[in-house]
Amino acid sequence: MPARARGRDECGVDVPAVSVEHLSKSYGTSVAVRDVSFEVQKGEVFALLGPNGAGKTTTVEILEGFRERSGGRVQTLGVDPADHSTQRWLRTRIGVVLQELAVEPFYSVRQVLSRNAGYYPNPRPVDEVIELIGLGEKADDRVKRLSGGQQRRLDVGLGIIGNPDLLFLDEPTTGLDPSGRRETWELIRLLAASGTTVLLTTHYMDEVEALADRVAVLFGQEVVASGTPSSIGGRDLGAVTIRFRLPEGVAPESLPVPAQAAGDGHVEIHTEDEVRVLHELTGWALAGGHRLQGLSVLRVSLEDIYLGLTQGMAARRAEQREAGGAGRPAEQVRP
Amino acid sequence: MSATDVPVKGSFRGASDLPLVARQVGFEQLAFWLNPIGAVLTIGFSVVFIVIFESTSRHTTVNYLPINLGQYYIPAFAAYGVMAACFNVLAISMVNRREMGLLKRLRLSPLPTWMLLAAIFVNWMIIALIQVVLLLAVGRFGYAVHGPRDVGMFLLVLLVGLLSFTAMGVGISTVVPNADAAGPVVSLVFFILVALSGLYFPVKPGSGLATFTGFFPIRHLILATVDSFNGISDTSTWHDILVVAIWGAVGVFVSLRRWEWSPKRG
Repeated sequence: MPARARGRDECGVDVPAVSVEHLSKSYGTSVAVRDVSFEVQKGEVFALLGPNGAGKTTTVEILEGFRERSGGRVQTLGVDPADHSTQRWLRTRIGVVLQELAVEPFYSVRQVLSRNAGYYPNPRPVDEVIELIGLGEKADDRVKRLSGGQQRRLDVGLGIIGNPDLLFLDEPTTGLDPSGRRETWELIRLLAASGTTVLLTTHYMDEVEALADRVAVLFGQEVVASGTPSSIGGRDLGAVTIRFRLPEGVAPESLPVPAQAAGDGHVEIHTEDEVRVLHELTGWALAGGHRLQGLSVLRVSLEDIYLGLTQGMAARRAEQREAGGAGRPAEQVRP
Repeated sequence: MSATDVPVKGSFRGASDLPLVARQVGFEQLAFWLNPIGAVLTIGFSVVFIVIFESTSRHTTVNYLPINLGQYYIPAFAAYGVMAACFNVLAISMVNRREMGLLKRLRLSPLPTWMLLAAIFVNWMIIALIQVVLLLAVGRFGYAVHGPRDVGMFLLVLLVGLLSFTAMGVGISTVVPNADAAGPVVSLVFFILVALSGLYFPVKPGSGLATFTGFFPIRHLILATVDSFNGISDTSTWHDILVVAIWGAVGVFVSLRRWEWSPKRG
């Protein structure tokens, strides 16, 4: 954590970087966000995961002070983002990378970063940001001459130029090629390591696994699960799959534990007691001089958990709808 | 805890904000001049027309005008310069900024709203004034058309025109649904009304066309500018200024009611 204190309320009491309690947002009869609650601790990388229209961007825009909420309590760096009297101060402490590219085409990379640096009391040096986003060779090129991926990186540069305490990243790697994604991930890790709190929205599971300390899944405008990427939805408690190539001359029935053929000469063992099964299996292999080629232990993926959560919720809502219950799903809206 | 950790309230910090406004105006100007084709077309259009009109008909007189056309076109095109920059180009620019997400990005920066809007408006007012000065210079040194003869009234008319057409430009930008529609919608309204309101040839007072265009602000700004430039202002000039100001107030009302930072993409 940098020496500069972060996220204190007006009495100087340390508070979470973001605090959301029972947040709701409606447009007329359409519900965009319903009873959402979560906290983001200082220095944490927190991911909001969900399908289109789940309410991720609306939630983030309320936290940024860009949109007014309909109900609930929200604090960003210790202040209410809807309080106009502190918005100018708040915006000196946050950085925002928007979902869609928004950079003036005629400025050069250096000019647009220099302009925005002037808005902040303690900006990062422009040249440092240009290097961080990997546009050193393009620093004096017009924005309109940059490729889509380079413009996206410049967008990230605009988000960090103010040296923010809290960085909002709304799908920051959408449109980037694989190396651009990895470079952006490295940049986010670097920022997190220096104490910057990051609130990230994304569709990419690998991005969540690579970056997030904690994740909340939004579906149907509400949080349906939250936790660490490795434990969300009981991921750390569920069954694992042990997979390997069957040794030559060995029938599946000869294995010390029941296994199922998985094609291509491989077998799979599904178990919730992976330590015992691995012990028996490797003991048998050592004793018999067998090689277990391609041995791997696969825990259920984050994507499986995510799909299970969202499809489960969708099915439950459909049942409620058919039963005429009170759980009528809200109309999904994009403001 | 250091002083910087205490939330500072308010979006206006007094005189210390003025350098920030000036800096932002500087970047707005830079963006304008970095697009040389756009800049030349914006500023050069009225100069090209004034050269054509002054060269061909500056000694022509019409029986319902106490001045010759040479004395008419210079101030009329000065008014056009104000309207083109502050209404036509400003409106299209605002729609494009909104639809590209540029307004949203700046809204999320520490730049206060008032500072951003002030810089945008001052930028286009500077461009309008460059056109006015250029036209007056072309008139004086190219065609011996001297003015303004009533400097105070001329400056007042320009000021009311700048403010009112800026408000109208922002107002109409809020009703344009997307960037593709911005040019056709704004320019169609503007250039038709400009032509009908007597920019290219004075409209006879009391005619049906004069009555029709009298409902709109363009003819009134042209007449008030021509009158003040030639020192022939009277009570009708004040009436013209009032009509322009009322349209400006309508622009402010519409802007406040319909303003959006996010793209409409309609």
